[in-house]
Amino acid sequence: MDGGQTSTSTAPAGNSSDFVRKLYKMLEDPSYAEIVRWGDEGDSFVVLECEKFTKTILPKHFKHSNFASFVRQLNKYDFHKVRQNNEENGQSPYGQNAWEFKHPEFRANSKESLDNIRRKAPAPRKQAQSTEDSVPTQQIDLLNQQIVAQQQQIHQLHERHTRLSVDHQLMMQEVMRVQKTILNHENVIHQVMTYLLSVDARQRRDSKAAAVPFQAQGQAGSTLSPSQGASMDDEPSSPLQHASKLLNDMNAEIQFNLGGLESMGEPPKTTAVVPTPALETAPRNGVARPSAADASANTAMVYSKMNGEIEPVVYPVGATNGIDPMYSEHVNNVPYPMPPKQEIDESRRQFPDNRKKSANVDPGWVRSPHILLVEDDATCRQIGGKFLYSFSCLIDTAFDGLEAVNKIQDGSKYDLILMDIIMPNLGGVSACHLIRQFDRTPIIAMTSNIRSDDIQLYFQHGMDDVLPKPFTRKSLLDMLEKHLVHLKTMPPGIEAPQSAAAVTMAAQSSAAQSVKEDSSPGQSPATSMTAWQSPGQFPGMTAVAPNVPQVQGQYIPAAPAAAAYAVDQNGVQYPAPAVALATTAPAAVRPQPPRRQLSEMSSATENPNMAKRPRMYAHQAQPMVNPMQAARTG
Amino acid sequence: MAPTTTTKTVEEPPKETKEIPSTLAEMKGSIDESTFEQILEMDDDDSDRDFSKGIVFGFFDQAESTFVKMEDALRREDLSDLSSLGHYLKGSSATLGLTKVKDACEKIQHYGAGKDETGSTDEPEKKTSLSRIEKTLTQVKEDYKEVEAFLRKYYGEDEESA
Repeated sequence: MDGGQTSTSTAPAGNSSDFVRKLYKMLEDPSYAEIVRWGDEGDSFVVLECEKFTKTILPKHFKHSNFASFVRQLNKYDFHKVRQNNEENGQSPYGQNAWEFKHPEFRANSKESLDNIRRKAPAPRKQAQSTEDSVPTQQIDLLNQQIVAQQQQIHQLHERHTRLSVDHQLMMQEVMRVQKTILNHENVIHQVMTYLLSVDARQRRDSKAAAVPFQAQGQAGSTLSPSQGASMDDEPSSPLQHASKLLNDMNAEIQFNLGGLESMGEPPKTTAVVPTPALETAPRNGVARPSAADASANTAMVYSKMNGEIEPVVYPVGATNGIDPMYSEHVNNVPYPMPPKQEIDESRRQFPDNRKKSANVDPGWVRSPHILLVEDDATCRQIGGKFLYSFSCLIDTAFDGLEAVNKIQDGSKYDLILMDIIMPNLGGVSACHLIRQFDRTPIIAMTSNIRSDDIQLYFQHGMDDVLPKPFTRKSLLDMLEKHLVHLKTMPPGIEAPQSAAAVTMAAQSSAAQSVKEDSSPGQSPATSMTAWQSPGQFPGMTAVAPNVPQVQGQYIPAAPAAAAYAVDQNGVQYPAPAVALATTAPAAVRPQPPRRQLSEMSSATENPNMAKRPRMYAHQAQPMVNPMQAARTG
Repeated sequence: MAPTTTTKTVEEPPKETKEIPSTLAEMKGSIDESTFEQILEMDDDDSDRDFSKGIVFGFFDQAESTFVKMEDALRREDLSDLSSLGHYLKGSSATLGLTKVKDACEKIQHYGAGKDETGSTDEPEKKTSLSRIEKTLTQVKEDYKEVEAFLRKYYGEDEESA
């Protein structure tokens, strides 16, 4: 030991490592032979008794007693453990627990070669290893990683693709819907144009006769857009003609686009052509600037479309100004050509009078709407189905939400889904939520749970409207017409005054109330109740833009409707004898006395507005209309 | 064979002391006329009334089996079951305009949900809710019997119902 120390200090080879020299020194000590000694061949050394070695020798020579770190140290100097399975029997010749270590330069009696034993340079050594054993595994790892990454990419792409296709589908549906709406608007515009042309023609005639030129026209201009009034008179060219031309151009474009659309119900060809010939005959002065007239007429007309079942409404036109030019019986009294659609109107007009108990209402669909009725209760399902059938709908039923979701998922296409809320297996709200993940078909909640928070929930989950239960035939029809405007045949421009009256009505009688109601379904139960029970109150608001919340639509109707009304009014001011006829008109048109009104939800108390409506129309029409006029002219 | 629906034939069922009314108007308290009429309107033929009759008789089956289920749920003291049964029958009775039955079912629905009869206030006592349901169930069965008798007679089957 002491000798070991001294010999270390006298060691000539300064290059050799301290550790290796200590090791060599240790092995030179014969007193350790039982514990650690040179191997039999002299080219290795053997630790015979691991435990003793660790406890007694290591501390003396290496200042620690950790065999593992001793072995580690050896490894650093590139000593290798001699594998015992080199022997046949797997036994080391030095005993079972012996550790034999070897280094090519570490030999007994060869102190000089110790200098060649160097501590391994860590980096190159590692590299060497990697190039040797682990090359294949590393490559496999790498490949595996790549595969995983690619799989993830594929998965992400797939997800993205799914999302995009859903989006695409939604967009397509929206586009279709918008296109249909535009078409309908086109139709309306053309009809208005035709109408305005005839008015214009007559005004010219009249003004010539009366020698009061431009008077009527000035009126028309000022009602439609006050700023336009003056300029129109000065305008030597024909804005009306210009408008028609624009319309025709537009029409061509639209028809071109239509080529790509599948189920286009009603191409505007028939009516679209109308303006042109009529126009040529009336090239003088414009009654309306297209933008103003079109916009207003548009909106107003869309409302009228919803009024499939004709409400007992007083025509402001008839009451205040003269005949209702659109009323079928007056066609012959109207001194100017009528739009060709008149026949349809006639038949539609007559039907409420003719309708007896079992007569099926044909609300005038372009094609039969395809309705999915989701309802677990057999009674409701049968009656609802029967009602729908009587409205010329194609009906499919589902027993619960699950079946409904499956049907939609399987690709069934519907124009509207009527959905019960409380159902076994899968309720209406959840079903709607699921369907909304991939489909935008309008979904109407059909339920007796119409508290404000319920309704809010329905809307949150993507429902479009609420039909309170028990529904009536009328409330159901109103709902259909509200959400299936795009399937309605174009009603001629006639019912505009009607809806004008309706809107006026609402504005007068329940303006504050209904505004509140519509703007927040989360009102008190009572108020929201009235709102939902009278879907016909503002028919068509959502029809214009089905997904726009009603709040926005709320304020729109009043102004355009009033404008449209003015248009009509202007057109009809003239023939004095017709006035008498006109006063009878409302009575004649009023088809269905309040009988059904009473059945409205069987909740007259909750909904006084609704029940009273017919009477209010009848008696209060005049005061109702006047404020509107005042507002308009003022 | 049977009197047509609108005639005012007075038929005195032998077992009942009370006369079963023949017209809808006489049932005003139990049946909402306009609601029921709009179902009658759906009949293709006023004389056989296949459609409305099918629905009404379907409702009889539904109501009777629901009452049995309610009694069962009452024995099991299963309030939530009672509530949903109430809701279920409420829907169909309301659709037919059977107001009395509908109102009672609504009460059962609320009681079952641990509320008072209007559904606005909580009723913490399960026992109270159960006993209220029991009472209402007895009542609704009577109300139902009344409209059933009327409707069976209305459809010319009063003999069987008695």
